Amino acid sequence: MTVESLNRQRVLHLLDAFARGDIEAALSCCTDDVDFLTHAPIDVLPHLGPRHGKAELRELWQTVWSRYQEIRYKAPHIVAGGDDVAIYLHGYFTKRSNGRIVQFDMTVFYTFRNGQIAQIREIIDSYDLVQQVLEQEIGPLIVGAATKED
Amino acid sequence: MTEHSLWRFSRALHRAINDRHFEDIEALIDEDVEWAIYGPIDMFPFLGARQGKAAVLQVIRQLADNFRVRRFERESIMLGVDSASSMLRYSLTALDSDKPISLRVAQFAQFRADRLTSMRVLVDTFDLVEQALGRAIHLPKMTSVG
Repeated sequence: MTVESLNRQRVLHLLDAFARGDIEAALSCCTDDVDFLTHAPIDVLPHLGPRHGKAELRELWQTVWSRYQEIRYKAPHIVAGGDDVAIYLHGYFTKRSNGRIVQFDMTVFYTFRNGQIAQIREIIDSYDLVQQVLEQEIGPLIVGAATKED
Repeated sequence: MTEHSLWRFSRALHRAINDRHFEDIEALIDEDVEWAIYGPIDMFPFLGARQGKAAVLQVIRQLADNFRVRRFERESIMLGVDSASSMLRYSLTALDSDKPISLRVAQFAQFRADRLTSMRVLVDTFDLVEQALGRAIHLPKMTSVG
């Protein structure tokens, strides 16, 4: 099995572990100094701020699981090259508060070191994500703010 | 060793956007291509899903009408046999306002016989909207539900 195939399996293993709520199994795929960054509005979603190390990543993933009761992924595209794996995901997160499903697309770029994930970089269609989390369209808020400023 | 399809496509795309030279890119797109740049289509009509070469060329023309690529940097790239994914940092100029826009973009591309058959692009769209507006969008912090 090539390094690329192994790393691809490792990423899918991490996602499976996280989706069944086994945060420790997911963290075991990562280096102690794992570096995590989501490109998303952290002033609105403060828990998505940068995380460094397993303890901080554990705290983030626990926060996510405290808010969602079911997490599912579909991964239609995955590309591996050398120490890197990129995956395109459809995410389906069911809210604990009201059972509504937040459905969003994201890409995640993983970098491996010695068989463990050392870096995670995510890009999300964040405008859509915020609207679904807020359960409100942002457009009218923008227009409203512009009207007040005028 | 032949050049990966991504490089040829990337050069042609940037030439189309900056120089409005569309002949090269047209030859590199499959007739049945699937294309999607996810984001708020009411604010940016060139976003959204498209099917077929003509529709994709129209989007590329719209991008050329609205932006100029000042520079871009590939932060991460993975090449498969007929696929590629990359994370890029783009510095653009919005042509209507002359505003600079800086974006981090993830792209997943698939090729068949050197032609693009699928392209999916994700952008931090909240950041894009704020830059286009030229101000922050003030929303409550979602500390308990997000």
